[in-house]
Amino acid sequence: MSSAAGTLRAEGIGKRYAGVVAVDDVSFTVPAGTIVGIIGPNGSGKSTTVDCVTGFQPADQGRWWLGDTELTGRSAHRTARAGLVRTFQNVRAYDEMSLLDNLLIASQERDGVGWRRSLFGGQPVRAAEAAARERALGLLDTVGLAAKTEAPALALSYGQRKLLAIAAAMMARPRLVILDEPVAGVNPTMIRHIEDAILKLNREGIGLLLIEHNIDFVMRLCQRVVVLENGRKIADGAPDEVRNDPRVLAAYLGKSRDAMGEFRHD
Amino acid sequence: MSERAAESPVLRMAVLAAGLVALFLLPWLSGNEEYLMALGVSFALFAVLSSGLNLVYGYTGLLSFAQVGFFGIGAYTAALLVMDLGWSLWPATIVAGVLAAACGALIGYASLRLSRHAFAIVSLCFALLCGILARDWVSLTRGAMGMPGLPAPEFGLPGAGTWRIERPEDFYHLLMGYAVVALAIIYRVMHSRLGRAMRAIKLNEALAQSHGINPLGYKLLALMLSAVLAGMAGALFVFYLTIVDPSVFDFYYTETMLIMVIIGGPGSFWGVLASTAILAALPDVLRFTTDLRMVLYGAILVVAMLLFPGGIGGWLNRRRMARWKAATVGTVASDPQPGNPPPGSS
Repeated sequence: MSSAAGTLRAEGIGKRYAGVVAVDDVSFTVPAGTIVGIIGPNGSGKSTTVDCVTGFQPADQGRWWLGDTELTGRSAHRTARAGLVRTFQNVRAYDEMSLLDNLLIASQERDGVGWRRSLFGGQPVRAAEAAARERALGLLDTVGLAAKTEAPALALSYGQRKLLAIAAAMMARPRLVILDEPVAGVNPTMIRHIEDAILKLNREGIGLLLIEHNIDFVMRLCQRVVVLENGRKIADGAPDEVRNDPRVLAAYLGKSRDAMGEFRHD
Repeated sequence: MSERAAESPVLRMAVLAAGLVALFLLPWLSGNEEYLMALGVSFALFAVLSSGLNLVYGYTGLLSFAQVGFFGIGAYTAALLVMDLGWSLWPATIVAGVLAAACGALIGYASLRLSRHAFAIVSLCFALLCGILARDWVSLTRGAMGMPGLPAPEFGLPGAGTWRIERPEDFYHLLMGYAVVALAIIYRVMHSRLGRAMRAIKLNEALAQSHGINPLGYKLLALMLSAVLAGMAGALFVFYLTIVDPSVFDFYYTETMLIMVIIGGPGSFWGVLASTAILAALPDVLRFTTDLRMVLYGAILVVAMLLFPGGIGGWLNRRRMARWKAATVGTVASDPQPGNPPPGSS
């Protein structure tokens, strides 16, 4: 089956920790250039699924592809080089470095300048650095951090760090970006900024997979939503379908399925 | 160094060139004082060892005790090639560096895929094992007696006879010249994209991976480069001592290197060079109390860590941050609460 270059297709992902099943036979697809969300209660296996497909944890089962390239079992850095990039739930940045350096690092392994040429410098490195710089300044502008280009990342607020992480993930023009809880713990004003940034970047043609608790946020942005509970996929569809799915309501409201009737039409 | 980015590069090059000329002329300027030459040799040696360790520890974040092993392996390799096989010192020095790098690759590849802690322990075991081999593999190394009487190396100068390296000032020039080349290479790596990737790995390894950076590759690169340079330094240094024995694997070297890097500030090229200069002179200042020397070193280390966390480099860095904060007062000081709209968003 051939698919568009940026389509992420995961089939039957499974992961166990010492006998506890964290992720059980989860399959999903993120069509190229679309925004898909994965939601689910705490401990439902969202982050573990992301860790598996991005090479940060070995999966016990399953295969996954980005376009026609199979990424199953690839290490984290090789997955990133293939164009599948992620951010982290506990926002990570190179704290002591400037925002500009934070972004330059994010693309230096993927602009075709090898380590030998990096060492000896010269025209190819200068050209690549200049291009990366331009891209970085543009992205900082897109996410609204252009005024702090030279500031160290540790001077940013929590929400601004999330914006920086999104910009860094976009640096090397990936085909698909997975955002792990991009708005968790962020106030409503900042959520709107993050939402704007995500939509702008999506318009560049980059597909996004959002892992989120904030259901409103996911429902607003995503064309498709996957719901996990206890490591299993319990729903997969358009936001409106998923919103009214009794199993989803049960998972979120903690009601048994029999008692769901009265909630269904809310 | 970025903390001096504001100064003109021409001025910096001029200062650097003047410093190098002064270093070169020092034997004549000082009237060939043997004591000063010995200090210079000691500084040159430790500058290579501690800057190599700075690349491994200060940049990639790996605590390594293996540096003294590379140094000693280089020393023994060169001595054996010259004494037993009749080689000239120069090719022997190259082989010494290559062998040290191979050892670095071996212990690095074996341990770095586990964790940083595994690497620290393996590097310590490697250094101890080297010392045991030097003492107990008597048929090869002559055991605890070592190999005295290493001959003065000769360097064939094209069209100008040979430079016989035997006086203290000869060794000063040889080792200082080597140190300048080695430090230039380390500086180049630190300030290239490679150094940036290494810092990224130290600051946040998972994030670096998510940016396509291969941590194992860069860690091995840093380790092997520091090993080559330390091995070659060892090869040259023992011909200055004229003897190689198991004391080249002494913990004294490890301790001194670590103190130099910690006081200088891990990750700061000039900070580590400054602390190396201070601490290379210190043993002679403290010559009156050889027994207490390591105790005093320990005391200095504790005081430095209390007063200068991050070392000299960390202190420079904090000043830079303070300047940056002072320059942007009002935009940043009022801003870090989450939720303030980022400036510049339209």
